[in-house]
Amino acid sequence: MTRNISNLIYSSLALCSLTFSSCSKSSDSASSEAFPDVEKDVINNFVNNTAVPQYDNLVITGTGLNNNITALNNTLTDDNLALAQTSWKQMRQVWERQEGFLVGPVEDNDYDPNTDTWPTDYHQMDSLLTSSNPLTSTDVANLPQTLRGYHPIEYLIFGEGGSRKASELDARKKQYLISLSADLLNNNVAPLRASWDGSSGYGNAILTAGAAGNTTYSTKKAFFLNLVGENGMAGICNEVGQQNEGGKIYNPYINYDSTLAESPYSGNSLADFKNNIIGAQQVYLGMGGGKGMKDLVAAKNKDLDNKIQAAFTAAVNSFDNISGSDNMRFEVAIYKRRTQIANTLTAINAVQALLEDDLTNFIQTNVKD
Amino acid sequence: MKKVYIILLLGGAVYAFSRCNKTGVFPEDGYDDRLSGGSFTTLNETTQAFKQVVDGLTDRESRVHIIGDGTFDQVFVAAPAPHFGGLGPVYNNISCVNCHRNDGGGFPSTGSSNSGMLFRISVPGADEHGGPLAAPGFGLQVQDQALLGASPEASATISYTDETVTYPDGSTVTLHQPAYGLQNPYTPLPGNYMLSPRLAPRLVGMGLLENIPESTILSFVDAGDKNGDGITGKANYVYDHFTGATELGRFGLKANTSTLLMQVATAYQQDMGVTSYAQSQESAFGQSQMSLAGSSDPSPELVDTLLNYVTFYVQTLAVPARRDVADSVNKRGALLFTQVNCSGCHRTTMQTGVNTAIHLSSQRIHPYTDLLVHDMGDGLADNRPDFLATGKEWRTTPLWGVGLLGKANGGSAYFLHDGRARTIEEAILWHGGEAAKSKQQFMQLSSADRAALMHFLGSL
Repeated sequence: MTRNISNLIYSSLALCSLTFSSCSKSSDSASSEAFPDVEKDVINNFVNNTAVPQYDNLVITGTGLNNNITALNNTLTDDNLALAQTSWKQMRQVWERQEGFLVGPVEDNDYDPNTDTWPTDYHQMDSLLTSSNPLTSTDVANLPQTLRGYHPIEYLIFGEGGSRKASELDARKKQYLISLSADLLNNNVAPLRASWDGSSGYGNAILTAGAAGNTTYSTKKAFFLNLVGENGMAGICNEVGQQNEGGKIYNPYINYDSTLAESPYSGNSLADFKNNIIGAQQVYLGMGGGKGMKDLVAAKNKDLDNKIQAAFTAAVNSFDNISGSDNMRFEVAIYKRRTQIANTLTAINAVQALLEDDLTNFIQTNVKD
Repeated sequence: MKKVYIILLLGGAVYAFSRCNKTGVFPEDGYDDRLSGGSFTTLNETTQAFKQVVDGLTDRESRVHIIGDGTFDQVFVAAPAPHFGGLGPVYNNISCVNCHRNDGGGFPSTGSSNSGMLFRISVPGADEHGGPLAAPGFGLQVQDQALLGASPEASATISYTDETVTYPDGSTVTLHQPAYGLQNPYTPLPGNYMLSPRLAPRLVGMGLLENIPESTILSFVDAGDKNGDGITGKANYVYDHFTGATELGRFGLKANTSTLLMQVATAYQQDMGVTSYAQSQESAFGQSQMSLAGSSDPSPELVDTLLNYVTFYVQTLAVPARRDVADSVNKRGALLFTQVNCSGCHRTTMQTGVNTAIHLSSQRIHPYTDLLVHDMGDGLADNRPDFLATGKEWRTTPLWGVGLLGKANGGSAYFLHDGRARTIEEAILWHGGEAAKSKQQFMQLSSADRAALMHFLGSL
């Protein structure tokens, strides 16, 4: 997680060892020729088949949610409410998976805190709904982040314990809902997708990592380390799996407090967590049939690749032991399936340790451009 | 035979090591110039460079740091709330990190979730402790946000006009001259109010600054300018409401706070409206917005341990290592930094004291500050005194980490106390007062030397 002074000493020694190794005609020259090509393939595939398609999906599912909320507003039925709920969960899956790589504009331009801030300010939400304050999407965009994004929408369409009825949505709630989904789509998701386009877009900054004049990534190594690090795969493992009061699983678990869960109204918290880890796994494996980080690792250290893949698989699968055959919600499981939750935390921690230590050291040692 | 192998092996190692030395990566002197924070230095140079923990914490302390980190990032909401209630009733932003983006600086704007600027306010005179005199109805800071149903105290207006500076070699730089004002006050503003803009600063190395011996800081004072370099410097002594003592000010853009505990507690109280054991009174106390305070419970809104943990978090943030120290242009820039006497205020090297609470042994650090306040001229003056600091005086900003400010802030960096400077060069050109001589010398440099000096600053 932290690159501090002990790492400086480590890197100094590593540099010397590299110089030492350069003195001899070592046997890795055959693989080093191909390795830069693998690096390039991994980078290209990350941008074109992993990141951008997920942002495309975010716009598609955001449009679906917006359309279904519009339909609900026009025709207030429980069937239309159910469609809105389904589309919220679909969008949420895409969002949580892209959190496996929170690099670039999603954080730099505040799209993450604008849409996924926790907790929601329910007290002020009540004040807002009972007031006569204007509630256009422009007004919503100017609200505090605690009154924007996924979770206020979740509260409005699912309600306490997921018990919302369409008839409970009065004119103010409907207006707020419409503006919330429009704000989510038009002010956040769509510009997030667009920010990766064009020669000055973030996608190109990654594709040209290491090229002269690239101020975002002066080397390919810098990009890979970022993708693995605190805003990347290891970062999301830390957010979900850290075993202290900041942990998304640990905090409600250790405090026996379901109100600390991320998505309590939809009962989607467990899916959120699992999708976070799947998102990191997708970065590692690569999507769309192209190369991922796994190919970079396997080219030099198949044993490490096997370990990382196995750890990801174990962590992802462990969530099914929490939900079980009865599909138990996380908000209930924190009381009833504590052993299974503890096992999942351990499994996520194992992935995180491999990413922060082994994979990071692998990149430091092997990526030279 | 074995001895021969061993000798050959050792000989090879010595040869390889000598090759390492010949790479020229490491300076030849005894200290590594990269270690701006001594043992509190981090190699991280990513967007997260300002968020790195120092080395050597115990498991428990690491846990405290992590919880402090989480609380620093945590948004607050209106009370009553099951978690993190207590926001407002008036405030500037909803979390620490909304202003201190990635623990770095913020955007020089107000009123938005990503705004990092606020305005201090007072009226002429001093309070019973020599501090600024609160503006009736507004206190010492303008909170431009409020809970629904309450009125913000006022909103700020910010505008800029262009001003061209021409170097002796004919090249020009355009500066942004700011103009600030207040509008829509919830109650009439006093006619003689004084306003001071403040942009959220980066937080690196705060624990080190807190542990520079007072005698070291005072040794930098050159009352009467005995050495004739135009620089005097002054220690700002400030009243600490928690300890009830007058102490040397170290933190804040006018060095108006003596400890990190008070810096953190006051930020919670003034910027977010969140009370704590060290700042127990709502910022809106006595004002009409108090009806929205949410609860008559006088207990602090921030749990005691969390205030301590956030303070510990800030105390244990590392300093980014310098980059490119072996680069010849960088070395030239470092030399010029001293030759034009930037180092007269931005002191390059000093030794910290010991603080076992954060595992700080005496460290040789390079903060590029003297922690004194200096007259910076009319161009930067806010004309609002703050304890002993006059309306023209500002604390010397520590420059460590300045080169990574843009990276931490999504590509945009803003410099000086109000973010008016968009580049390091603009920031230099705004210097006046005690720094006027250095600025003039900088302007006399060739464009290549000016670039070298800025390259050096970018490596900090």
